[in-house]
This record gives sequence, structure tokens and C-alpha cells, in this order.
Amino acid sequence: MSMKVSLAFRPEVSRFYFLLIALFLTGFCYGQTVTGSVSDDNGKKLASVTVSVKGTRTATTTDAAGNFSINAPSNAVLLFSFVDFIEQQVPVNGRSSLTVSLVAADKSLHEVVVTALGIRKEARRLGYSATSVNTDELVKNRTTNVGESLEGRVAGLNITPPAAGAGASNQIRLRGQVGFSGADNSPLLVINGLPMDQNVRNAEGAGQQRDRGDNLANINPDDIESITVLKGATAAAIYGSRAARGAIIITTKSGQKNSGIGVDFTSSYTAQDPLNFLPEIAQTEYGQGQGGAKFTTQGQIQANGQFGWGAKLDNVPTINFDGVLRPYSAYPNQLDRFLQTGTNFTNTLGLSGGGPNGSFRASVSTSDAKGIVPSNEYKRRIFNIGVNQTIAKKLKLQVNVNYADEDYINPPPIGTQGDGAVNFFNRMPISVPLEAYKQSAINAAGAEFKTSGFLGTVNNPFYPLAKGQKYKDDRNRLLGTTTLRYDITDWLFAQGRFNYDRGTNFNESYTLNGTGAEVLTNNDGTYRGQYNIGQTTSTDINADFLVGANKKFGKFSADVSFGGNTLRTEFRQLTQSATNFSGPDLYSIGNGTVKTQNYNYNQTRTNSLYGIAEFGWNNLIFVNVTGRNDWFSVLNPAFNSKFYPSVSGSFVFSELLKNVPWLYYGKLRASWAQVGSINGVGPYDGVLTYNYNQSLFNNQSLASINGNNVPNPELSPFTVTEKEVGLELRLFKNKLLVDIAAFDKLTTDQILDVALSSASGFNNFKQNEASLKNQGFETLLEYKPIQTRTFSWTTSWNNAYLKTKVLDVGTPSGDRLLLYFNGTGNEFLGEIHYTEGLAMNQLYTKTYRRNTKGEIVVGNNGRILESTGGPLNTGYFPVGSSIPKFTGGWSNTFTYKNLSVGVHIDYKFGGTVLSSTLLNMTRQGHSKLSLRGREGGYIFPAVYESTGLPNTTAIQVTGNGLQTFWTDFRNLQVGDPFTFKSDFIKLRNVSVAYNFTGLVQKVGFMNFIKGLSLSASCRNVAIIHKDLPGLDPEAIQSSGDIRAGYENSSLPTTRNYNLTLSVKF
Amino acid sequence: MTKIIKRLFIAGVALSFVGCDKDFVDVNTNPYAVNAVDPALLFSGSQRTHLGTWAAESQIVQQFVVPYNTGANLGINFNEDIDGVSNPKWDQSYAGGANGNGAPIKNMMQALSLLSTTTNRPNLVNMIRIWKAQVFMGLVDEYGDVPYSEAGRGYIDKLFYPKYDDDAIIYDDIYKEIKEATAALSPTADYVAADLFYGINGHSTTKTANLATAAQVAKWKKLGYSLMLRLGMRYSKLNATKAQSIVAEAFAGGVMTSNADNAIIKYDGTVYTQGDNGALRNFSQFNYAGEPFVNQLKSTKDPRGKNILANFPNPGNVSATPNPDTVLANQFGAPVGVTDAQITAAGSPYRGTRSGGLNYSQINVWTVASPASADLYVTYAQTSLLLAEAAKRGWIPGGDAQAKIYYDNGVTADMQEYTIFPGTVPITNGEIAAYLADPAVAYNATDAIKLINIQYWIACIRNGGEAFANFRRSTYPSLSPNLFNNKLNNGFARRLSYPDVEASANPVNYKAAATAIGGDKLTSRVFWDIP
Repeated sequence: MSMKVSLAFRPEVSRFYFLLIALFLTGFCYGQTVTGSVSDDNGKKLASVTVSVKGTRTATTTDAAGNFSINAPSNAVLLFSFVDFIEQQVPVNGRSSLTVSLVAADKSLHEVVVTALGIRKEARRLGYSATSVNTDELVKNRTTNVGESLEGRVAGLNITPPAAGAGASNQIRLRGQVGFSGADNSPLLVINGLPMDQNVRNAEGAGQQRDRGDNLANINPDDIESITVLKGATAAAIYGSRAARGAIIITTKSGQKNSGIGVDFTSSYTAQDPLNFLPEIAQTEYGQGQGGAKFTTQGQIQANGQFGWGAKLDNVPTINFDGVLRPYSAYPNQLDRFLQTGTNFTNTLGLSGGGPNGSFRASVSTSDAKGIVPSNEYKRRIFNIGVNQTIAKKLKLQVNVNYADEDYINPPPIGTQGDGAVNFFNRMPISVPLEAYKQSAINAAGAEFKTSGFLGTVNNPFYPLAKGQKYKDDRNRLLGTTTLRYDITDWLFAQGRFNYDRGTNFNESYTLNGTGAEVLTNNDGTYRGQYNIGQTTSTDINADFLVGANKKFGKFSADVSFGGNTLRTEFRQLTQSATNFSGPDLYSIGNGTVKTQNYNYNQTRTNSLYGIAEFGWNNLIFVNVTGRNDWFSVLNPAFNSKFYPSVSGSFVFSELLKNVPWLYYGKLRASWAQVGSINGVGPYDGVLTYNYNQSLFNNQSLASINGNNVPNPELSPFTVTEKEVGLELRLFKNKLLVDIAAFDKLTTDQILDVALSSASGFNNFKQNEASLKNQGFETLLEYKPIQTRTFSWTTSWNNAYLKTKVLDVGTPSGDRLLLYFNGTGNEFLGEIHYTEGLAMNQLYTKTYRRNTKGEIVVGNNGRILESTGGPLNTGYFPVGSSIPKFTGGWSNTFTYKNLSVGVHIDYKFGGTVLSSTLLNMTRQGHSKLSLRGREGGYIFPAVYESTGLPNTTAIQVTGNGLQTFWTDFRNLQVGDPFTFKSDFIKLRNVSVAYNFTGLVQKVGFMNFIKGLSLSASCRNVAIIHKDLPGLDPEAIQSSGDIRAGYENSSLPTTRNYNLTLSVKF
Repeated sequence: MTKIIKRLFIAGVALSFVGCDKDFVDVNTNPYAVNAVDPALLFSGSQRTHLGTWAAESQIVQQFVVPYNTGANLGINFNEDIDGVSNPKWDQSYAGGANGNGAPIKNMMQALSLLSTTTNRPNLVNMIRIWKAQVFMGLVDEYGDVPYSEAGRGYIDKLFYPKYDDDAIIYDDIYKEIKEATAALSPTADYVAADLFYGINGHSTTKTANLATAAQVAKWKKLGYSLMLRLGMRYSKLNATKAQSIVAEAFAGGVMTSNADNAIIKYDGTVYTQGDNGALRNFSQFNYAGEPFVNQLKSTKDPRGKNILANFPNPGNVSATPNPDTVLANQFGAPVGVTDAQITAAGSPYRGTRSGGLNYSQINVWTVASPASADLYVTYAQTSLLLAEAAKRGWIPGGDAQAKIYYDNGVTADMQEYTIFPGTVPITNGEIAAYLADPAVAYNATDAIKLINIQYWIACIRNGGEAFANFRRSTYPSLSPNLFNNKLNNGFARRLSYPDVEASANPVNYKAAATAIGGDKLTSRVFWDIP
């Protein structure tokens, strides 16, 4: 309903644009010239201060020396405004020269934070954690996706960027993981008031093996004005059913009032070097072969070429898979040599302006990135417009439009078998040179030249490069927000807002006819391969209204708002695919003889009403209460309504302790909220439907029940109850800031696919079942040891401790198996469980079998045995959670005159990872671990299970003894040698920036330049500590939760070198 | 402007009074969903049921061998109990689906549930009952106790964790179902056009003429009694009296009498492919014909051999050679329980390597292992061979004389049926006669049971589940147990293990069943398979 109202604004909007343009074309010239200078309270001259004549549109800014000149009537009042300073009004009183001194605003005490619904509040009034991010740092240490540069910056915000190619998504978790895999656990993003999910399109390791970014990628870092992280449920409570995971509030720029017309231009170049840790685990002594011998025929190699159990390298020309003799030598670092330097060239051009009644900024930015995997590209064009305008007395309009056009070209396949360079090079022997794979990628038939017996699961990445593999995802997204605010009186306002979010996505991809096969044809004579196209359109309309009043009654203050919201989503997807092609190498619908088409459609609606009430007393105590009711179309009408309350309070106790000299500011806060999430309930979920087979079977149509889920029409949203207490102290003249928070977040009745006995006919039933708990403690210490006029040093350390616990998984056994050996064909080791009483994302493996004395035992053949029993009686034991317990960062900023240097260290501790890479490299004879006993045999340190006597059986490489020995680890699922901590400490960023503005303005003809700065930064400078060998522990393949802690064929992470030039006119 | 503000207020107030979910039912109705269906289509979608895999059942009976122990190939040949090897029958019967076919039990239960109110289609109901019995018979044969009385009712009755029923009791109920349903089929009731076997789109050699209900019902009656015969024979070791009684009843009811009665389905190989054959083509280097099977065909100059076996110049790339060497004398089967490393080791007694694979014959991916192959559920050949044994045992009339006729008819029918596979050479009457005259093949009263069941083994080359069951029942052919690592107590796999996920998803019932059958092991026995 409010949507209709907002639509009615539309003609008005266009009128305002005209007004706006007229505004900037018209100038006002009259009166006398007033000159003067502006300085701060220390006498330092201030440049770029806006000077305007009150009540007119006349404005100018001070130059680098702090001087200004303006036409003003002798009775005029001049307004001096500048960021971080208190605005000052100075009557001209007939003077022609003025000297003005501006007083710095004490930001810390009057800091204003953008909170939920875009409401700006003084920080002291907040009873919960809301952290503003220093956006300067993000721009200096820029990454393609702005999410990545947030890593280690905010206590409790855990960001993990998967190594997944150019433009990849990020895993973002606020205060732990609010739900089991299956729920959306990434925080709500609110961009200019438009709430949206992060919507990661990640590589989840099975069906989807390519990462295609997330919604944060739609925002250009240079357009961001502010980011506020609403960590807890209370902070986000007013978002009700979408607040369970916290929220990240992003506001883009819309210019500054009274700033005149300005142009800003930023150009940035990043080079990315893959970090190669494989030499830590890769052996370089033995080559291709089995049983300690080289292969002597091409056929042997094509049957078993994946093994590095051959002879000691001797540099003698030896047959390769393609029949060519090449020296039997070590050709190390093949993956690294296959990869290339990634690049990203980004340019942003912004035009901004502002008069006394409004401001605007329009920008265009282009990003052209090349990934480290050849043929992987990412291109992005973003157009962003922000307008703030007072269009009539008391009536304000704000318009933000962001249009993003992204192209994901050949995102690399990761985390799976089959295609993918990582999978290939990590699993092929050291003795075959990279060039061989490149030269002989294609066989005589035009298909992939068989390089080993694992063709199909280990495919040569040069084949798709040579034949022109295509995978393209072209996304276009328009985000538009229009807000109209009417200040009815100075204490009462009404606001309406209309958000439009439309995304269209065109996806085109094909599987080459000869990939993973030696022939191009099927048995029926048609050509292999597959061609897919798909077009998706999603439209989200979010319209809301808010009426607010605030009034002071003596020492009391009250701030009350009431609002409503409707969210309407519509999704349309048309896909087509073709297989069994009539002709070779032509990938099109027309060429296919077997075609499938699909049309998916859904729409949803959520309507909400909400209210906020805040009461304050004497600037000392604030109490804030919110309530929201949501109605959901996807739920059964009988119980589709849910209420979400929150209450929070803050107590600024320093107001009572004004005589304590070291206490500058002190606040105690506490909050409680109950929010929810409907995540897990899809449209039309509650009804059983059928499916007709798309193609007739021998002319007969067939039908079946659709899907493997028993529909449940009785679902309700799940609930997150969060309690939080916090203390903020500013000490010693505000040199030291201490901010601590403790929270307890309980998730109950999560909607979960409960695994059924498949004998019921179905595999899953969605139920409100599971519950879990996240508890944490967050600290922020910020200290400014040196603050002089020329040099300053700010050091800041944030840390979060997180404890997770599974309370209920909704199964009789108290355990829920998420991922298991060979579950999707890409699992080599271990299982992921949710087990009641244990931490979330628990990894399990079998372990060495031990006797009652605790000694490892082996069979009489000297080979390992697997554990039996265990908590689930399956032989599997929990070996740790993938979720780190400690995350944090330490950042230092040094400024000396115009030079600033930033050093950022971050870390994660307490997580576990299973390395399938090391397992596969070992069983295939490629790891250093596999070198044991190559000469003379390997006696595994253990005792015989039968006798208890020490093992004396030497396993020989001959007869495939060692190969079998290590293959046992996979077959028996013994994980001991492959289980590691995912801990790390990284020197994440070093940045140097120099502000040339002062310098250039001294040169006369260049003084039109209002700002010029150059910054250089390096990201992932060094890993100071890690446990996982062979890989960066952050080299995960997925930003989702299903493969948490499950390392397999991950792309290396990169070290980035960035140079950014920023100019303002 | 004030007008807009007023509207805004009105909107807000209206929202709170009207209620916020007025049109939600419409919004949450999918305009494109199929909400109702003809149950006959659910039935035809369920007719392609699981017949066993090369890797599991066919490998246990040594028709097929995977000599590679490199990760994903590990399984029966090395006496390992691998979840993925044991699961397909379970998964594809209860909940899963392969090749785009529906899970038979789930969909047939749904069809029965939909039909319960409309009794004017009794023939459809009874066909479903018969076919459901066939699916459960296969499940019992492979796992022992399985969910039966509570199975497939996840949606209908919200029965999510079905109990496992005793295998002998399930068999009793299956018998009752086949008996009742077959008897109840009526030539004057409904015609089931969608029937994939004998309906209007049935396979050309089996479909009924002129869309006649009577003809279709006659076929289904034969199918029903042939299934009953199969079921009766299963009791031969356990309870000969019971076996005799059921076999005699089935025989009296009227079993299949020609290949035109066969319950088979043919794949076009393009839109629909025989899924299990895919691995033999795409990962061909791992897959070989078993030595005992090849030796049987070679020693008797079996004319079927050329249609089953092939020597590919590169066993790792069979798809490049549409016309491999199929001369029977040139075929060698891979040894059972031997690793590829042993086969290729220097100085080994085995045949070593050939190009990108091992120097052994493979099941021909251009014929019986083609994507365009056929699924043979119940055939006249199988039925006639069972009758031969029944006659020999005196359970049906005729003695040895009649047994020989059934035996010859069974072998002949099986050989004639090879035309259903692509790329096959039709077997001539002369070849058949010569084969039946071979002293090692010709019926003789002394070795009758052995001869009959060897033929049954060969006739089940594309029905591993039935080959596995009949091997355990009859003990023929006399195969040597695979002693690799000796994990099966010097014996054979007697069953397949339950899916691992049952242990976590349905733990109470799983544990009870595992205990009842003597442990969820490959060596536990189903009720009719007494030592």
C-alpha cells in the first residue's frame, strides 16, 4: 500500500531534477566583496572550508592558504562549515575583511552513527554495539569486493574471502554463525535504506563449482560514504525477520552541502601474485610411475599416470602420456607456473556539488580485473547518483541510484574433481613438465589427450584453454531509492521511501565435447558436450513509511517513531540447455538434438508494521524499545504473523563523575532482542507437486512426485534471542578508548531439512527443529600515544572470542550429518556434523586404531587400522570445529605531515581444517609425506594389534605397497596426518599514502586542484604464523557453510600490490 | 505536498487496519505447478526399477571385475563394504531416482493413495500392486529385512522413520499381493495405456495389439504368475514344500510363454540412456569382463559371447572403437580378486597391460553395455529355465523330459532376445541348435540343476540383481570365492549393506534390523539363503 503512495511521488521526482539542474546553472551576483581567512583553534589555516551567504545560494570555499573571497551584502551573515568542525555564523556587519577561527567538533562525544532504517543517532544513546568503519582505510587498502577489505577491522565481524577468482564472494559472519548450513548466515545488507541479502553465489563444491560474487560487489568502494556494522540482534531488531544475522548499513555519497561543484577522480591499479606454499609439501625426488618403477609405455601412463610412485628422478628421457620422451626430472611449482599475475584496473570519476539547499554526487566507475587463472576475467561498470535536496520548506528529497553491470568470465572451477587447474596439478606427478600438458592438450580425435587413468576426474586445464571454454555470467542490477521527508514541525516528521531493486542475469556456459574424454562423440554418433543459457530477472520492491516525533520535556527527552514496510519479490528464470549435438564444436541451442527448458517463477510478500520509542533523561540514561510485526506470504495463513521486540539502554555514567580527571567518557549499555528469520521457507514449499518428464520415454509421458522433500505447511520463522552488555570508556583526555561487549545469542526452532529415512520415500522434511548458541566477547582498544601537530600515531586492536554450541539438531541421535566421504563425489576425507553439545561445524574423521594402552596398532601386514566405536558408533571421532574461536586485528596508523602509513595485522585462531589436498597428494605419491620408506621400506611406528609387539613389517614401494598403505588412509578415512589448525597471523596490509594537495596548490597554475593524493599498499604481505602446510589456511573454496573446514582443490590466495591516485578539482 | 503526506498517513493507518496478509494465499500459489496428476503416469514413471549394477551384483557373481584399487573403484572385487556400492538398489527403489525416473515405491504409493477413492481403475491398481511386489522382492533379496509395511508413506502418513519388517514376513505379504492382484486383473475393466511394458507405447515386441484390455491383462497375468514362480523358487533351499506349492500355483495360473510376453524396457540411447552403462563407457579402463564368465562362454562356444564380450585395442578408450574384436576365442576375462598392480607387475602370471588399460576383454559398450541397451525385468527365458528346474524337481509335471523342453526353450528364447540390444548379430537357429547339442550344454538328468542355473546366470547378464539372487539360491554356477584380504570368511557376499545414512537418520529401526539379520554385513544372509 505504501508502495502505491510512493509511486505517486514519481512525477514530483522528475520536477525536482529540473529544479536541481536549474539550481546549478543559475548564479547569483550582487553586493560587495568580503575577503578573509579561516583557521582552526590552533591557528592552522584551513583549506576547503565552505563559506556561504546565509539565506542565499552564494557560496565559495577557502583556498589552500585558508583565504576566501565572496560577494555579500554588508548586512549578510556568512556561514562557515567544514567537516569535523562546528558550523559558525559570522555577521558581516559592514566589514570587508574577516578572520574566522573554527572550533573542532568533539567527534567522540557527539559521534553520530547511522543506525537501522537509516536513522542517525548520537552514539551515546545506543544500548548496543554499532561500529562505524573507517572508509578511508577501505579505499587505501582496496579490494575488488569491498567486503574483503573489511577483514580484521571490526571485532566480531568475521570475513573470509574464498580464493575463488576475480570478483569472488566473501564469507561474512557477524557474531558467529546464526544457523546451520541451509540458513542464510551472512548479515543483512542495507544499502541506502534498501535491505538485501548478501546473496552469495559461491562455489559450494558440488553442483556449483564457480564463484560468481555477491551483492556487495555491486557497490564501488569509492562511492561509499559510511559503513556501520550493527553487530547484534538489538541493533538490527527493527528489521524483524531479517535481523537475525545482524546488519551492515552502507550509505553512498550524495555530496556535501555548500561545497560548490567538484570533480573527483580515482585511478587504481592492483597486481595479484599467487602465493605458492606447495613446496612445503610437494616432493621433488620421485617421478611418475608405480611400485618404484617408471612407466615404459604410453598406455601404462594413460592408465595410471596420476601416480608419483615411480623411480628416483634421473633426468633420463622417459616416455610421457603423449608418447614423447622428456627428461625424468623435477618440474616443480606447476600450478604456480600455470597461474598468472592477476590485475585489476579501476577508475572512478565523480562529479559532486552542493548549494545551501542540497547536494549531489554522480559517479561512474569501471573495473577490469583478470584473475590468476588464465581466461578468468571480471569487468564491472557502476553508475551511482546520490541527490539530497530541500525542495520546499521542510520537505527534503533524497535519491540514490546505483546501477552495476558485472561480467564474470570463466570463474575458475574449484573445490571439485573434474575440471580445474588446482585439482589437476596437485594430483599429477612432478616429473612431467607443464609444457607437455600444454603441447599435447588435444588428441587426434580433437578430444582431451588422456594424461592419466583419472581422466574425467582429473582433467588437463590446457584443454579448455586451447578449445575455448566459455562460462559467462552477465549481471545487471539497478538499485534505486527515493526518500521524501517532511518536517511537519521541528519535533515531528514523516518520511516515505521507495526502494526498487531489479537484477537481470544472463548466464551462458558450455561443457566442451572433448573435456574429460578421449572422443568427441556419444555412442549414438552425436557430439558430446552441453550448452546452457539462462536468464534470471528478480525484482524486489521495498516501500516503507516512518513517522517520528522527538521532544524534550525538561530533563526528559522522547523520540518515538512508527512505520510500516512492504517487501515484494518476484523471480523469473528461463533456462535452456542442449546436448547431443549434430555437429562438432558448435555450442548452441540449435545444434543440440536433446533440449531441456525450464521456467521458474516465484513471488513473495512480507508486510510489516513497527515502532521505536526512545526515552532519555538528562543525557545520562537512555532507554530504547522497538517492536515489529511481520506477515509472510510464504507461510500458512493460519500462523503467518510474528512479533519481534527489543529493549536496550545506555547509561552515560561519566556524566556523574565529571570530577574524575582520567575519565573522559564512560557508558554502560545493555540490550535484549528477539528477532527472527524466515530463511529456509521457500515460496510454495508447503504443497506437494508433481513433475512431468520433459521428454517422452518411448513416446510415453511419465510423471513423478516433485522433489525429495515432504512438504510442511506448518513452518514458522525461527527465533534469535540475543542479550548483550557493553562498556565504553574514553580515558586520559580521550587518548585511550576501551570498548568491550559480551553477547549471548540463542537460535531456536531453526528451519532445517531434517534427514528422513529414505525408505519413507523422501529424504528431507523441513521443520522448526534446531537450536544453537553463539556467545562471545568483543574488545576494542584504541590508543593515540603520540598526537602532535606534525606526527600522530594511532594504534587499535580489536578482538573477538566466539563460542558456539549446538543445542538441538532435531534428530533422535542428537547428531546431524552434513557432508560425508563421497557424499557428492568431491569428498575424500572426513565428515562434517552438527552434534549436540559440541561446537558448530564439527569435523569428524576416523583415527588410528589404538589398543588399551593407547598405542597405535597395525594389522599383521603392517598396515594401519581404523578406529571403531566413537560417539556415534561409526568409528568417527570429532576433531574440531571449523569456526575460529579468536578473530581480530591490530592496526596502526602513522601520519607525519602529509604522509600516512598504515600497518594492519590480523589473525584467526581455534579453527580446524581437513586437507584433502595433502591426502590426495600423499596417496598418489606426490607429497613429502609419501617419501617415507621409498628406499628400504617404511615401518610405520605402531604395535601389532594381534601381539602388542612393535611393528617390524616394512612396507615396500614395490608391489604398490606404499601406495596401498597411503590409500588406506582414504579408504579407512583415517584423518590423523591430514587434520590441521586453520590458525594464522597475517601481516595483512601495509599502506603508504601521501597527500600532495598542499604542494600542488603552491604552484600557481595548479591551484585549481583541491586534492591530490597517492597511495600504495600491499595486501597479504606475509603470513607470520600458520599450521596448515602447503596452503594459506584462508584458501577455502566456498563462502558457504556446507564445506566449512573442508579443504579440497583450493586456489592459492594472492598478494596484492596496489597503487591509487586520487585527485579532486 | 501536504496531499502526499496525507496519503502517506492514510496508507499507514489503512495498513494497520486492513490487516497485512489479504492476498497472501494468491501470492503463495504457484501458477505453474503441477498440482494434480493421472496416477497412471506415476505408475509408468515407476516401471523402470533398479536391476542391479555392474559394480555390485554383477561383480559378486563374477560376470564383471574392477581390478583397480585407486580410490573410487574400491569395492566388491576387494571384498570391501563400500556404501556407494551397496546403495543404488535402496536409493533408486525408495526415494531417489535415476535417469529422470521417479522413485518407484514413493510414486506407486502415491498413485495407490490417489486411486483409493476412484475404484473404476482396478487394473491399474493391480498392476501397481504386482510391480510394487517386484520392487520389494528385489529389496529383500539384496538386504534382508527392509522397511515394507511403513515404507513410502512419508507424505501420505507422515511416517518418516519406517520400521524394518522381517524379510520372511515381507515375502509372505508379497506372495499374497501378487496372488490377489494377478487374480483380480479383469479383461473387462480399465485399459492402462501408459503401461511401459504392454501399453500403447510398450516395446514393439511386447506391446499388446489393438489397445485391447484383454490382451494387456493377459500379459500382466503372465507377468504376475512368472513373478510368483520366481518367488516360489526362492524357497527351494529353505522350504521345499512351500516352494513346490507356490510354484505349482504359479504354473497353474499361466506364466510367460514367449519373448513377446517379456517385461522389458528399451532405451533410445540419446534422450534416455541406461544409466549404469555410462561408467563402462566413460571410465572404461577400470571395467573388465570376469574370468569365470568369459571362460563359461568360451568353453561352450556360446553364440551369445560375440554379442557380450569385446577386445578393445585400448581398453581405456572403448568409445573410440565402434567395431572391436568380438571373436569369442580371442576373449580373456580378468581374474577375480587380483589388483591391477599384480596384473601389470613384471613377471606376473597375468596378461599385463594393453594400451591404456589391462589386456583383458570388456563388456561391449556398443551392445549389452550400450547407453541404448535394455532393461530386462522378467523374461520368458528366465521363466522357462525356472520351470525346467521345477519340472526336474517334480514340482510341476513332466519330469526330465519336460525339463529338457523348458531348458531348451529358455536358452533359445534368451538367444533370440539379443536382438533387443544394439549392435548385436542375430543368433541363428543353427547356432542355437549347435549350442544346445554341445555336450557341456545339452540337458542331462544328472547335471540338470547345475546346467539350468548356469544358463540362468548367463540369461541374467543384464539383470545383476536376479543373477545374484539365483546364484545364492541355487549355488550355481560353482564359482570360487574371492579371497582378497579374506574379509568375507572364505565365502561370497551374501547381501548388500544398508545405506550408512540410515544409521544416523533412522537409528533405532536400523539397529533393530541389523541385529535381527545378524549384523549389517556383507556376510549376513537373507532368510531364504540358508547355508
